Amino acid sequence: MKKKVIVACGGAVATSTIAANKVVELCKKNGIDVEICQIRISEIESNLSGAVLIVPTSKVKRDYGIPVITGMPFISGVGVEKTEAAIL
Amino acid sequence: MIWEELKESLIMMDLEASSSQDVFQKLGSALTREGYTKDSYIEALSEREKNFPTGLDINGIGVAIPHTDVSHVNKPGIAIGLLKNPVSFIQMATDDEEVKVKLVFMLSVINPEAHLEELKQILAIIQDTDVLKKLTEAEEKQQIINIIREKEIAL
Repeated sequence: MKKKVIVACGGAVATSTIAANKVVELCKKNGIDVEICQIRISEIESNLSGAVLIVPTSKVKRDYGIPVITGMPFISGVGVEKTEAAIL
Repeated sequence: MIWEELKESLIMMDLEASSSQDVFQKLGSALTREGYTKDSYIEALSEREKNFPTGLDINGIGVAIPHTDVSHVNKPGIAIGLLKNPVSFIQMATDDEEVKVKLVFMLSVINPEAHLEELKQILAIIQDTDVLKKLTEAEEKQQIINIIREKEIAL
């Protein structure tokens, strides 16, 4: 089954593009069928339907009822492996 | 390759700035003067930084990658500022954690999908602590371009 992952940042411009790309690569490598939903933080609420995970590169201030794993290591390069393991 | 796009007119060495706002003003003006960004860019940049800060602490080296909405941008580009004295930025994905930033990559982004490779290469540069260290110690604009070129060729 396709898993829907929300990748979000402030403007859906730069950092979430990188994080989204990393998540796709990671899932492909591990045989996971994934559907990425790349949006702004403010749009998370209306895109929650069917999503199993949120990977934000900005601060997420509230609880959406599904797991949140920060995508920051994909930007800073610090702690990438740990984040990848958590996503899988 | 990013280094081919880098312009000396968009690189500022020994940049004297008193705050992140001052960095936006000085570096952003260069982008606008060169036609990369619209007059609204600097204000939009400051506003976005308040809500979505862009400071990064890369193994102890402070870097920031300010950028803003595509509606304030004419064409893709990168301005680089090496600060004489580091200024405080809030770290990305936090509300109040500060980082003293020495090196700023200011991005004018139009369509991230279209230049994903460039974005990836900028991050590859930022994520390499050795390269960052060399960049922060550079004295000439051409050195900045050369360091980035060497890194990109090695990618």
